[in-house]
Amino acid sequence: MNPGTHTQRRRTRITGAASWVLGKVLGGIFVLWAVATAIFFGIRMIPGDPAEAIMGGPGSQASAEALAAARAEYGLDEPLAVQYFTALRRLATGDLGTSYSLKNPVSEVLGELLPPTLTLAVLALLVAWVLALGLAVASTRSGRAGMALASGLEIVSAAVPHFWLASVLIMLFATALGWLPPVSTATGAGLVLPVATLALPLAGFLGQVMRDTLDAAQRSGFALSARARGESEIGVLLRHSLRHAALPGIALSGWAFGSLLSGAVVVEAIFARPGLGRSLLSAVTARDIPLVTGVALVSAAAYVLIMALSDAAEKLADPRMARA
Amino acid sequence: MNNVRPLARRLFPAAFGLAAALVLAGCAPAAPAPESGNGAGTPAAATPVAGGTLVYASGDAEPSCLDPHVGGNYPQALVSSQYLETLYTKDAAGELVPWLAQDSTVSADGLTRTVKVRGDIRFTDGTPLTAEAVKANFEHLLDPATASSTGYLALGKIKSMKALDPTTLELKLSTPDNALLESFSMPWVAIQSPAALKRSQEENCAAPVGTGPFKVESWKKQEAVNLVRNEDYKRPVADADHTGPAYLDAITWRFIPEAATRYAALQAGEVQVIDNAQPDTIAAAAKNDTIKHLDAPRPGASNRIELNSSKAPFNDPAVREAFIHAVNVDAGIDSLFFGTAPRSYSPLSSVEPLGFADKSLFDFDPAKTAKLLDAAGWSERDAEGYRVKDGTRLSLTFPVSTSQSIPAEQSLFEQLQATAKESGIEIKINLLDLSSWYGALAKNDYNLVSAPYTKVGPSVLSILFHSDSTIPAPSGYFANLSQVKDPALDKLLDEAGTISEEGKRKGLYIRAQKLVLEGHYLLPLYDQQNHFLYSSKLNNVGSTTAVASPTFFDTWLAK
Repeated sequence: MNPGTHTQRRRTRITGAASWVLGKVLGGIFVLWAVATAIFFGIRMIPGDPAEAIMGGPGSQASAEALAAARAEYGLDEPLAVQYFTALRRLATGDLGTSYSLKNPVSEVLGELLPPTLTLAVLALLVAWVLALGLAVASTRSGRAGMALASGLEIVSAAVPHFWLASVLIMLFATALGWLPPVSTATGAGLVLPVATLALPLAGFLGQVMRDTLDAAQRSGFALSARARGESEIGVLLRHSLRHAALPGIALSGWAFGSLLSGAVVVEAIFARPGLGRSLLSAVTARDIPLVTGVALVSAAAYVLIMALSDAAEKLADPRMARA
Repeated sequence: MNNVRPLARRLFPAAFGLAAALVLAGCAPAAPAPESGNGAGTPAAATPVAGGTLVYASGDAEPSCLDPHVGGNYPQALVSSQYLETLYTKDAAGELVPWLAQDSTVSADGLTRTVKVRGDIRFTDGTPLTAEAVKANFEHLLDPATASSTGYLALGKIKSMKALDPTTLELKLSTPDNALLESFSMPWVAIQSPAALKRSQEENCAAPVGTGPFKVESWKKQEAVNLVRNEDYKRPVADADHTGPAYLDAITWRFIPEAATRYAALQAGEVQVIDNAQPDTIAAAAKNDTIKHLDAPRPGASNRIELNSSKAPFNDPAVREAFIHAVNVDAGIDSLFFGTAPRSYSPLSSVEPLGFADKSLFDFDPAKTAKLLDAAGWSERDAEGYRVKDGTRLSLTFPVSTSQSIPAEQSLFEQLQATAKESGIEIKINLLDLSSWYGALAKNDYNLVSAPYTKVGPSVLSILFHSDSTIPAPSGYFANLSQVKDPALDKLLDEAGTISEEGKRKGLYIRAQKLVLEGHYLLPLYDQQNHFLYSSKLNNVGSTTAVASPTFFDTWLAK
């Protein structure tokens, strides 16, 4: 092989990676801008005056004087376009503003509420992966009946609504058996039921996809040839087939993370757990524009990041994708 | 990833069928098992023991500010009653009694009110309670920067104030206001340390300083407000069983929005008191001897449906009357509220001594409805069986706030809709979030509406039915939602609000209530629901403030 071509190929690969990163960053910024814009105009189309939200809600019967003071303080008396560009300029400098309902800086609120939600989402993703892979491996090794049983389990759990699952888990493990607390704090034993609520449907969904791929890989030519080379069943599974099975799972994980964040809204409310989801719910009801925007932006950023990571992981797991 | 979506789409319909089957199958084993009740049956006469932390789980929204001067809603009243006290309160018999105040007098013309405050009290930060301190509180409430709503309205008639000596405060009023002492009993007008009020609003919201049996130690948003005992507390509240500090060491005030989780936490012993207990849960808890029920109806108005008399078809009194006889309220309440909500026939709560009820006006009587509607010109029927007049269907819009109406109440409205249909009246129920609901009201886009209002005393009638209350606040909201504009009623309410003789006041308020009931401006349903469930390990739960929020001064936790 000619050394010149080799360097050239490496350079192409590096500039390829750089432009891939640049593309992801630009795409991410575009998504964040679009989210901020949609929230800014969307929330103003809902009936109700933001100044009322600042003064404690529309039923508060705040005086005209107090409303005017609130409008002036938060710049709500400016034309809409001015408000929009002011908001964008602030966001660009990382200033998320002050929450109307909590009267605290939004960045401070997010700093407090992001960790518990991320803990929940990341743990749920990990647990879902372990369950999905475990079930996939166990079922492909247990024949046709095992496969059918696993498939049925996966379909059911993938379709179970979070709200229903959470209630059943509480009734079973908290009320009837008394093993686990029905309310969850930021960490500890209270994490088990919320994580299970988010992980079970996701595991069903991931497992369904992984098991099909795993089964096909186990029966494919390269598995046969590996076995022919004297590789053990476990060896074939670990060294060859699982890599194939993981690919669709990785691709789905970015998407799954988004669904975990939206699932957190339900789970955090049911288990009375502090977090982004619960604050989003109350912020929307309170017409707390800065807080809604902040939560949406952070969620969008997390989603963009995870999508990029899962894209990168996919490339690493499957070299063919890197060239594509 | 693209190849996965169609797969998911194929899977979901099948999966939903299976899930539905699971729901049906899952119901039986998921029923709550009875608890091993080691704390059950504690004798009522047992000696109180000090110590322990009470965990209270609230289903109300978490307040955005723990100082009830700011805004002023019921969630704030519930929690602040533990650390703030008021000038007046109500005793178990419903009588207004002085608390932080000693007594109060009013001038013959009703325009000067003198309040004598107690001289032996300190706030938990050491500041003494004085007339100046009370004045600073009223000024705080009336300052637009505080953004008070409920407290601001209650003190609206105060023109100026002056501390005559360390314990005497003189108030000059713009018009006589005989509801002022009742207003002083509301948690939204509670008295706080003037030194603490001088801090920034953010600081004061996080930890208001009062004179109550507990004080705010910390507040972790979305989790809990931690309250600790005020060791220097000496004065008993009205009807208290003991003097000195409270028995409990501390109260953890948690926020658990989901009703089923709240009840599960109570059953699991993680919390000892839950509020906003739902009718079905109360019925289930009645079979559990480790759980007790406290029914504490709120004062002020009853829960009612108001009929918007400002526009068709309810601008015709006959149609209002016809509607009231067309809906079967009793049957709905019986089937949906499990005996937890006795029917009301009054504009006022059953705890209001001046409430007037007239059951005879609210019979379910479709024959009478038919006669009234025929006479009023709604005699034709359209293809769907609804009554029609001049080509217009007899149709009523009913915006319902999902955050103010519990599920059982929404079901009740659906049952009323079904019975009204049989009389040819269409009810269009719109389930709305709170802001959209206020929006619909401000646009006069409703014929029927159910809105809660809590205020101590019959003066709430002026807020709800005086023609002045049809004038919207800047937000567009007005409290007179039935839009009654009756000079005779206004005159009665004005007189009742300023008269000093109690017997005459009563007579005037009763006449005012008769006018609104007989004018068919409202359909009373039941008292504003305030249901608490608590562990039988707790003793002496039941004493409440003037607005029926629980106090835990006498409460003790059995070991």
